[in-house]
Amino acid sequence: MPEVKLMDKLANRLREDAANIDAEISAQLDSRIRASLAAVEPETARRQRDTRRRSVSFWLASSLTGVAAALGVIAILNIVDTNEPAAVPRTVADTATQPIEIPVIDLDVEAATLTGPLAQELADLQADLKRAEEVVRGDVRIDF
Amino acid sequence: MSDELKLIDAAKGGSVDAFTELVRGYRGGLFRFLITRCANHADAEDALQDTLINAYRYIDSYNPQWRFSTWLYRIAIRNAGSLRSENLAELGDPADAGADPLAHCIADSERDNLWRSAKRVLSDEVFTAMWLRYVEDMSVRDIARVLERSSSWTKVNLLRGRRALEMEMNGTAGNAGSEAYG
Repeated sequence: MPEVKLMDKLANRLREDAANIDAEISAQLDSRIRASLAAVEPETARRQRDTRRRSVSFWLASSLTGVAAALGVIAILNIVDTNEPAAVPRTVADTATQPIEIPVIDLDVEAATLTGPLAQELADLQADLKRAEEVVRGDVRIDF
Repeated sequence: MSDELKLIDAAKGGSVDAFTELVRGYRGGLFRFLITRCANHADAEDALQDTLINAYRYIDSYNPQWRFSTWLYRIAIRNAGSLRSENLAELGDPADAGADPLAHCIADSERDNLWRSAKRVLSDEVFTAMWLRYVEDMSVRDIARVLERSSSWTKVNLLRGRRALEMEMNGTAGNAGSEAYG
């Protein structure tokens, strides 16, 4: 079978010649490759990390939404509580505790009422004084 | 669960150490292959680095139904292809013999390395198919998977590649012309 022998010879020659190709990976290339590998991340790991991050974000968002909703409900309940007593009919005891309203006094009117007689008295006294002057003037005939 | 699957699971969880351990056995062969595919040694190093980074980043897309090396080579071929496209766009003609990393890495060999001939006479895909078959011992099904070709195409082109290299090895290539197979 000369063809088979030739084939084996060719295969052997190809393997030997491939082995004769000097392709040693230098330490520099090795460290370069290692550094490059350390700088990248497999897609699987990246996706898993993103999923975890999304889960945490989703959990946080859900929690915040829940807290906000709870605060809203509490606020609404408090508003309802403050309005409820107004709707309940007031008892006598409730109204008795309310302060008495004092009417505002119109001081100008009151002042006029109080000074009116004095002014009249003053006018009367001045008229009396004038009459007394005329009497005195007539008695002594002296002009002032 | 095999050790390899355990390491894959740990790498999926973000363990660089597990991934480094996982690819330890593949790195040498991968780098050797990339040297044959890239325009220069620096590109081969970049392609290896990119391959391992992409493999680590997208390790969740690995299907345990296939061999891990199959998946790794698939990524490596894409990276080498994209690097070569960038070089073609930037430099124009990359066919500079002095920059050929394969020539550099086997310069001291006594006889002509058959892979240099393979690079010359085979298309990139057939070269890769031959490499995966004879260096990595991959099955036709795995090679078809790596190259995203049918099993029939892979079988036919492996046969063509073998014939072309036999002629190179026997020194009869000159009679058959310089046709690039594949």
